[in-house]
Amino acid sequence: MSAIRTSISTTARHYRPSQTAVLCLPTAASRRRLSSTSTQEPTSSKKKLKPLTETQKEFLSSALRVNQAGELAATLIYTAQTPPLLSREPHLRPLMKHMYDQEAAHLSTFNTLIAKHRVRPTALYPLWSVLSTGLGWSTAMLGKEAAMACTEAVETEIGGHYNAQIRTLLEMVSEWEAEGYEVGQELKELISTLRRIRDEELEHLDHAVEHDAQKAQPHWLLTGVIRAGCRGAIWVSERV
Amino acid sequence: MRPATTTLSRRAATAAITATRPSQAQLLSGAAIKTTTTAPKSRYITSLSRPRQMQQIQQTSSIQSRPLRKYHSYEHPPPPGPFSPTEEAILSAAYKHVPEHGFSLESLALGAREAGYLDISTTILPEGAFSLIRYHLVKQREALAARTEALFRVPENQKHVSISEKVELLTWERLQGNAQVIARWQEALAIMAQPSYIPSSLKELAKLADEIYFLAGDVSVDPSWYSKRASLSTTYAAAELFMTNDHSPDFRDTREFLRRRLGEASELGSAASAIREWIGFTATAGVNVLRSKGVRI
Repeated sequence: MSAIRTSISTTARHYRPSQTAVLCLPTAASRRRLSSTSTQEPTSSKKKLKPLTETQKEFLSSALRVNQAGELAATLIYTAQTPPLLSREPHLRPLMKHMYDQEAAHLSTFNTLIAKHRVRPTALYPLWSVLSTGLGWSTAMLGKEAAMACTEAVETEIGGHYNAQIRTLLEMVSEWEAEGYEVGQELKELISTLRRIRDEELEHLDHAVEHDAQKAQPHWLLTGVIRAGCRGAIWVSERV
Repeated sequence: MRPATTTLSRRAATAAITATRPSQAQLLSGAAIKTTTTAPKSRYITSLSRPRQMQQIQQTSSIQSRPLRKYHSYEHPPPPGPFSPTEEAILSAAYKHVPEHGFSLESLALGAREAGYLDISTTILPEGAFSLIRYHLVKQREALAARTEALFRVPENQKHVSISEKVELLTWERLQGNAQVIARWQEALAIMAQPSYIPSSLKELAKLADEIYFLAGDVSVDPSWYSKRASLSTTYAAAELFMTNDHSPDFRDTREFLRRRLGEASELGSAASAIREWIGFTATAGVNVLRSKGVRI
C-alpha cells in the first residue's frame, strides 16, 4: 500500500516536461485542427491564448463532469457511513467530520466550475446517489475496518484519477508554451485546484490506512471490488 | 467583364469546398502519429502510469461525434462559427429574401448572386433550404446574449428579476425574432420536421434552451438541469407553433400563451420538488426513529 502511495505523490512531484513530450503527440483529429488554426496567428507575440481544440474541450468537459460526479459520490458515502460508524466508534467523529467537510467543499467547487463553464452534469446523477449511499451504508454496517477499507479503495482510485487529469493538463500547457502561446489564468487555477484536491484526497487515504483499513477481512476482496466499481463509474461518467 | 468574374467566383466556390476537407497528407501524418502513441502497455503498470493517459486522449477523440455539451472558456478565443465566410456571405444575403421568397432554394440563389457568386454556388450548402433555416436559428440564438443587459434592466420599484422571469423575458425575445419571417415559419417548421433534419433541429432547440438558462443565470447542476431544459424546449416549440397562427396585435396572444405554459411548468416543478422533499424527510425521520429505538442501522 505504501508503495502505491509514494508512487502517487512522486509521479506528480517529479514531473518533467521532457518525459511527457512524447505523450503530447496530438491525435489525427486534433492535428488536423491544429494545422488549420496555426495559419491564422504565426506572427503573434507571446500574449495570445490558443483557441481550445475540440479534443481539448471534450477532455475538459468530461473531466469536470466526472469530478463532480465523484465528489457527489464521496460526500454521500461519508454521509451514509457516519451514523452507523459513530454509534460504534464515537471517537471517530472529528475524523469523519473533517473528511466530510473537505468533500463537501470539493463538491461545491466542481458545482461552481460546471455551471460556469457550461458543462452538462452527468445524466446518471440519481444512480450515483443511490449507489454511493448504499456503498457507504453497507461498508459502515460491516464495521470500522470495512468502512476504512472503502475509503482507502475509493481514495486510491480518485488520487490516481486526479493525477491523470493533472498530467494531461500539464501536457496541454507545456505544448502551448513550446509553441509560444500564453497560458490563461483559467487553466492555471484549474490545475492548482486539482492539485490541492488531490492532496486532500490522498490525506484521506492516509487517515484510512492509519485507522486499520488493512485489517478488514477480506481486505483484497473489499478493496478489489470497490476499486473496480470506481473505475467503472469513472469510465461511465466521463461519457454520460 | 462577366466571364472573368465568373471564373473567379467559381474558383472561390471550389476553394471553399476543398478547404473544408483535410488534405491527404495531413490525414496520413495524423494516422502515423496515432499508431506510434499506442506503444507500451504493461499489465503491471497501475492506473497511475502514463499509458492510461494515452488511452484517454484517444477515447476522447473517438466520442467526438456525439453532441456533448462542451467546455466554455472565458479566456481562450472562441472557435470559428458554424458557417465558413463563403457560406456566411451567401446566407446573409439570401436571408434578406426570406420574407418574400421563403426558406427556399430561390432565396439562396438570389443571395448567392447578390454576394457575387454564381447561382450554382449554393451547392456548397448541401442541406439546401435547411441551411437557411439553420442560419436563422443560429443567428437569432447568438443575438440573445447581446440583448440580455437591456432586457434585465431592473425597474425602479422592483428589487430584482427572478430567474423564471428572466427565462420568460428571454424566451419571448427569441420568439419575437421569428416575427419578421412569421409568414414563412410554418413551411420552415415543415422542413425542420423532415426525418433527415430532425436531429439538427432538435440539437438547435437544445442549444437554445441551454443558452436561455445560461443567460438567465441558472446554476443548477443536478438532474433538474435536464428537466428544466426539456420543459423549456417543449414550451418554446409549442409557443412557436402557436405564434404562426396568431393574428393579434404584437402577438399578444402568444405572449399570454407563453406565460401560461411557463407558469404551468413551474407549478409542476415545484409540486414535484415538494413531493421529493416530503419523501426524503419521512425516510430520514423513519431511519432516525429506528436508530433511537436501538436498531443498529
